[in-house]
Amino acid sequence: MGKLHKAIIIVLLMVSVNTIAQEYKFGKVSKAELIEKSYPLDSSANAAVLYENKKVYYNFNQQNGFQLITEVFKRIKLYNKNGSDHATEEIFLYKYGGNKEKVSGLKGVTYSYVGDKIIETKLKKDGIFKNEYTENRDQIKFTMPSLQDGSVIEFKYKITSPFVYSIDRIYLQNIIPINKLEVQIKMPEYFNFKKLTSGYLPINLKESSAQDVINLTSKSRSSGVSTQGRNTKYSNSKVDYRININTINSSNIPAFKYEPYSGNIQNYISSINYELSYVKYPNEPADYRSSTWEDVSKTIYENSSFGDELKRNNYYKEDIDKLVSTVSSELDKTVIIYDYLKKKMSWNSRRGVFTNAGTKKAYKENTGSVAEINLMLTSMLVYAGIDANPVICSTSDKVISLFPTIDGFNYVISRVKLADGSLIYLDATDKHGVPNVLPDRIIKGMGRVVAKNGTSQMVDFRPVKPSVKAYRMQCEIDEEGVAKGKLSVSYKDYLAHNYRVLNSAKDDASKAERFEKKYGITELDEYTVKGIKEYGKGVNEKFNFTIEDQIEAIDDEIFFSPLLFLRDKENIFKSDDRKYPIDFGYGFSNKYMVNIKIPEGYEVVECPKTSAFKLPDNMGKFTFRSNVSNGVIQIVVDETVTSPVIPANYYPTIKEFYNQVVKKENEQVVLKKI
Amino acid sequence: MLKRIQLVLVALFLCVYTRISGQEDFSLQSILIDSLLTENANAIVRSEDIVIQINSINSVTIKTKRVVTVLNKYGNRHADSYEPYDPQTNIKRVRATVFDVLGKEVKEFRKKDFSDRSMYDGFSLIGDNRFIYFEYTPVDYPYTMVYESEVETKNSAFIEPWFPITNYNLSVENASYKVINLKKIPLRTKEKAFVGYPIEILKGDHEISYILSKVPALNKEHQSPPFSELVPSGKITLGNFSLVNIEGVADDWKTMGKWQYQNLVSGRDELPDEVIKKMSELVEGADSKKEKTKRIYEYVQNKTRYISVQLGIGGWMPMKASDVDRLGYGDCKALTNYTKALLESQNIPSFYTIVYGDSRRRDIDDDFASMQGNHVILNVPNEEEDIWLECTSQTAPFNFIGDFTDDRNVLVIKPEGGEIKRTKKYKPEENTLHTTATIFLQEDASMVAEVVSESKGLQYDWRYLTKLKPVKDQKLYFKEYWSYINNLNVLSLDLIDDKDHVTYQEKVKVNATNYATKVGTRLLITPNVFNRVIRKKPKYKDRKTALVISRGYVDSDEYIIKLPAGYIINKLPEGKVFETDFGVYSCSVSKVDQSTLKYIRELRINDGRYPKEQYEAYRQFMSKIQKADKTKIVLKQQ
Repeated sequence: MGKLHKAIIIVLLMVSVNTIAQEYKFGKVSKAELIEKSYPLDSSANAAVLYENKKVYYNFNQQNGFQLITEVFKRIKLYNKNGSDHATEEIFLYKYGGNKEKVSGLKGVTYSYVGDKIIETKLKKDGIFKNEYTENRDQIKFTMPSLQDGSVIEFKYKITSPFVYSIDRIYLQNIIPINKLEVQIKMPEYFNFKKLTSGYLPINLKESSAQDVINLTSKSRSSGVSTQGRNTKYSNSKVDYRININTINSSNIPAFKYEPYSGNIQNYISSINYELSYVKYPNEPADYRSSTWEDVSKTIYENSSFGDELKRNNYYKEDIDKLVSTVSSELDKTVIIYDYLKKKMSWNSRRGVFTNAGTKKAYKENTGSVAEINLMLTSMLVYAGIDANPVICSTSDKVISLFPTIDGFNYVISRVKLADGSLIYLDATDKHGVPNVLPDRIIKGMGRVVAKNGTSQMVDFRPVKPSVKAYRMQCEIDEEGVAKGKLSVSYKDYLAHNYRVLNSAKDDASKAERFEKKYGITELDEYTVKGIKEYGKGVNEKFNFTIEDQIEAIDDEIFFSPLLFLRDKENIFKSDDRKYPIDFGYGFSNKYMVNIKIPEGYEVVECPKTSAFKLPDNMGKFTFRSNVSNGVIQIVVDETVTSPVIPANYYPTIKEFYNQVVKKENEQVVLKKI
Repeated sequence: MLKRIQLVLVALFLCVYTRISGQEDFSLQSILIDSLLTENANAIVRSEDIVIQINSINSVTIKTKRVVTVLNKYGNRHADSYEPYDPQTNIKRVRATVFDVLGKEVKEFRKKDFSDRSMYDGFSLIGDNRFIYFEYTPVDYPYTMVYESEVETKNSAFIEPWFPITNYNLSVENASYKVINLKKIPLRTKEKAFVGYPIEILKGDHEISYILSKVPALNKEHQSPPFSELVPSGKITLGNFSLVNIEGVADDWKTMGKWQYQNLVSGRDELPDEVIKKMSELVEGADSKKEKTKRIYEYVQNKTRYISVQLGIGGWMPMKASDVDRLGYGDCKALTNYTKALLESQNIPSFYTIVYGDSRRRDIDDDFASMQGNHVILNVPNEEEDIWLECTSQTAPFNFIGDFTDDRNVLVIKPEGGEIKRTKKYKPEENTLHTTATIFLQEDASMVAEVVSESKGLQYDWRYLTKLKPVKDQKLYFKEYWSYINNLNVLSLDLIDDKDHVTYQEKVKVNATNYATKVGTRLLITPNVFNRVIRKKPKYKDRKTALVISRGYVDSDEYIIKLPAGYIINKLPEGKVFETDFGVYSCSVSKVDQSTLKYIRELRINDGRYPKEQYEAYRQFMSKIQKADKTKIVLKQQ
């Protein structure tokens, strides 16, 4: 015990000695940093951030009021040539309505260790480029000169912004490791921000405060009775105020690595976002942006590009009256209005919770943003007497907002509550959508249904029920090993939606070609597809096939996997481990029913046995049933993953599950000549 | 890269327009369209009229009117919605109007409705190419977009070529192109692939025009010749021209090359004395020109990196060698010129060489001297042979250009003028992959194996970059490469890149739990464990284009398979040999002893262009290989 204590103390001492020993000042790069050959904690890193310092604070001057300042200082080690991508920095500067962000104090130095000397090369003007990227964004780009393997680069700059309410998202992780990171955010008491974090790494945030003073000079002119004429007086006043300070100091931050099937990676990289909650100047009432969910609802409804849009009905009244006047059922009304709008409106790919040009104009032009289309939809439903509310959403590629904020949302859909309590989610921007089947861009996101009275409630869009894809195959095989037969594939729910999104604009020949390509089918004919336009129903494809390479005849025996080309040939999960959950968006079920007639004069000597296995917690299952009678092999297989999201700690389990699936489906039938 | 890429983009995608007719035109409806034009088409160019007026060598006006009917969402990209420009170009007029299926106007975009932004080409740090664009959301299909523009450019070094058919699945109802040469500046033209297309050519005293009508949409076919060789194009170049305010003269490659040398290349190679001294030290003791060149090339690879900056004349002229030396970076022009300067300092002459860099081979047109190419490499003549250097790569071996610039016509720029040369061709027997393995099969159907592959030539090029990836990705690479082996585990790997001999060796140890399939007392295994043709070639009922095998190669495999104790093979499968024009395949299994088998496979693929009639034979050849590669053998328990 005693020994262990000592060891811990020594380790602690060493750690603290280490952190004290290294001070990071611009221009003070050490020889040790320059000669380091690889990053000690991750030898695969091509580059590492040795030190990053970010200071975000406010300056006050009487002319401009508050200004938001961001100071950045980075020291990056480039271990080899592949790290040189990190020697280029790109800064975007926002500009709007005459106000623009500016960069100043940009300095950069490359350090290399050559012979026995440290060589410094300064970043000069010819390495800094400015470009008007779009009408609202300028771009500054620079790349560091004279890089060699092992070089250390340093740069610093300052951004001055008049847009005081928007602090950019601060990343606390990078695609290369970070050795030491220091972030400080200082906010005057007048601005109250909500913090929104993402990622799996712990964020060590400390809060403190300090006092500061604003000096105001006011000028007053006295005119009037004085014979000396006009007189200008200057007076000074002082305003004391508090500054709230957030500090994040961390070290040894591992590189962020992308993994396949990750869903929304923005949720997995470590970051912090500050969103303005309210502004309160002395002796003035607070101007709330958001703080509780009630505030969020209130703010949104009070915004004319949301609340007023829901109320407005004059522009569609006549059309909707005509559509639903003779319809009485709530469900029918809902579907009729939704279908009408889905057909009429085209989405212009714009996201956001608030309308741009407004619903009325959008309705006239048949195109609009998501807010225009779905607020219009909600408004129409309410007008028709349906209990409908808007659902504000964060899309699949955005950080999910767990705290009350407005910025956390970038999309809006509609929710209907029927008299029996059942719920219907609707998104009229999706041409292939149906009630309760939402597009990919939203399915992995999150939503909050907001009511006019201020109540709101979190909703998850991922469906409870897995979507089904069912294969039915009837085929005959001959002695040569050629299989001929019919295949029918039907798609339901989300899988039907996915099919429509991917294939509905293709002609039949291209649709059939998918199968030829995927399965290596030799001859494919009589291809038909049904149900593409029949939204709410499934899609079904059918064709006849001849395939030559699925069956092996060796001596007087014939071998094949009974699912033939439909079997899973490889495990989609190949990586040894994984840090993020697997997000499929929706659960799914692949069902196979296969009947194979064997050639005359042969008998079945081996056939894969019936078996079944499951994933834990009812996340999925696999069943395989086989039966042989009268020269026909019948196989029924069900592969189901019920859970749309599988936590990372189950990765080895699901990988093994798929291994077993592949193994089972590759088991062989053996036929022998009688 | 040269700026040329963007100009090609301009030629391919842009559409520039002229006259605006306000009335509703019957041709704008899209109900009644000849089925010849709708078949296989995502969009139809109803009409395209381009009028290029050469006012002087400093002023060219391009007026375009293009009417496109879009049939489905894949056709949207053919309806123009942007206009590129640069500091030399002035967009005088631009306007787009959308019509519905009946020909009724739906929406109009005027210049003020266009947004302006910087063009990101995918590789440059910065450039001065920009574009204006508008966003249109189609409300319904089909719809028709009329796009009209008028631009004026001061550059006359490139005259927008005629490319009436810009893509697959796009049909053309009418297209016309007219060049008006007001000042009668001498010009040359080149018409390519006109044969088989209904094209009318009119050449007057100072006018040239091409008219094309009713061309159905083409479907893309696997391994077909490049699209640009399948469709007609007309190119025009001036004898006297201007490029970013530099005047030029060119009648043939000799004069064109001379002009480029004098105006763009020469005089940019000065180096500080200490650099020259360093080079002299570097090559000291090297006994040949080739060895000296190699040392200098490797010095450049180590010192520099590729950063592309395309501003003004910088799009065509290399940065000064002294600047590259100081900054340690540059684009293809800059790094090539820098290497050239370093070689020059040691009295090794070398030549700046313009090329089309693309793994899909493209030649500099040897009989049409004009501004061409999109990339620059360096040519070092060494007695009988030519050394070719790719100066933008930090990883390529010396004198190894790989498939990005191999086997094609290039323009070598010498002080006395330009010269067309051909770069190195990698023959099939140079592009080898030799794989040996020892495979230990276990009774429980698993296997462990040690694999050693050695690749050379282009096969080296296709593989060696894996070495630069993190170990986790290297393992994934092998798991994908042998993805047909379920549950493959990479136990260890050792990758050896021998740049001096351009040989890449991969030593990999793997296992797989269920490599064999157990059926009762039998084990089924595929003896070809590590090199299989997996994908089938598509079948065509009526193949329209020639078959192109762009690169040949030779794979050879030799595996020793150790059987699990107690298992034997009753009958060895017959060996297979397939011989065709496209290549030769053979494989066989033999018994070394009771418990050891040997699998041998050899595949040679010959590069070349084959008539379309031969495609089916090629497909069958590959399909037979694919089947042979996965053939199983049966092991029986004794």
